[in-house]
Amino acid sequence: MQPDYGTGEKKLSVYIFGLFLCVVLTLIPFGAVMYPDLSDAKTFIVIMVSATLQFLVQVVCFLRLNYSTEQAKMNVMSFILSIFILFVVVAGSLWIMYTLNYRMMH
Amino acid sequence: MSAGALAHDHHHDSESTDVFGFWLYILTDCILFASLFATYLVLNHPDAYGPAFKEHVNLAYVLWETFLLLGSNFTFGLSVLSLNKGKLAMTQFWLVLTFILGAGFVGMEINEFVALAHEGFHWQASGAASAFFTLVGTHGLHVSFGLLWILITIFQLPIFKVSQIMKRRIIYLGLFWNFLDIVWIFLFSIVYLMGAV
Repeated sequence: MQPDYGTGEKKLSVYIFGLFLCVVLTLIPFGAVMYPDLSDAKTFIVIMVSATLQFLVQVVCFLRLNYSTEQAKMNVMSFILSIFILFVVVAGSLWIMYTLNYRMMH
Repeated sequence: MSAGALAHDHHHDSESTDVFGFWLYILTDCILFASLFATYLVLNHPDAYGPAFKEHVNLAYVLWETFLLLGSNFTFGLSVLSLNKGKLAMTQFWLVLTFILGAGFVGMEINEFVALAHEGFHWQASGAASAFFTLVGTHGLHVSFGLLWILITIFQLPIFKVSQIMKRRIIYLGLFWNFLDIVWIFLFSIVYLMGAV
């Protein structure tokens, strides 16, 4: 019996499906920037949405995070906590620096 | 339940805890990258002093780097499948391919760094340039250590054969290698693509 690592079952079909989605989600933002057709704001949205989707595809298809066993739940919960910390660090730094800029210039 | 089976179960429990511990290390590494991303985003704003990254970025080149890393992740997945099926030679074959693709990525990145420095976008050019090289370089360093680890695994396979110990070790390596590709998604999106718009 395989011990439970909470990393999910590995399957060839899932890998191929994930690879296909990742290639598409890489080509879309590169295409949007290399052959500019949209406004800058719309291009930013395309980049961020593609990156988020590819992130989710890799987490589900390659990392195989799931919610089926106790161990898998622990992995997901710690993952969500670290994303929260990551968000606080990045968004917090940007927020502080931009308001600092605003307060010094106005 | 016999004492033997109980000990066996206990062994599995501690293995699960080991993998969970490695997962927690990966998550703390994510936070390291988060702080480097924050530094880059703060220092790299349109009015910042120094050479503009936009004039130096070569997106076609970065696209090839991306596909090399993505491809190496896929071949790594195939090596895990081969190991689970008990095919030692195939596992090694896919790991060698993973190593070649990963080495191609690191080689392209070093080449890119050298070209950037020659064009004047070097480490000391500005705060944004320093942050760029720290962020992308830290990722490249992680990938290089991953390559070393893959090499070690290739040589360990004939020694330990298809065993529980190898299956566990390849799970550690898989988590690490996949994590590096996930970081790269945000690197090419935020640093390269947004930098080129």
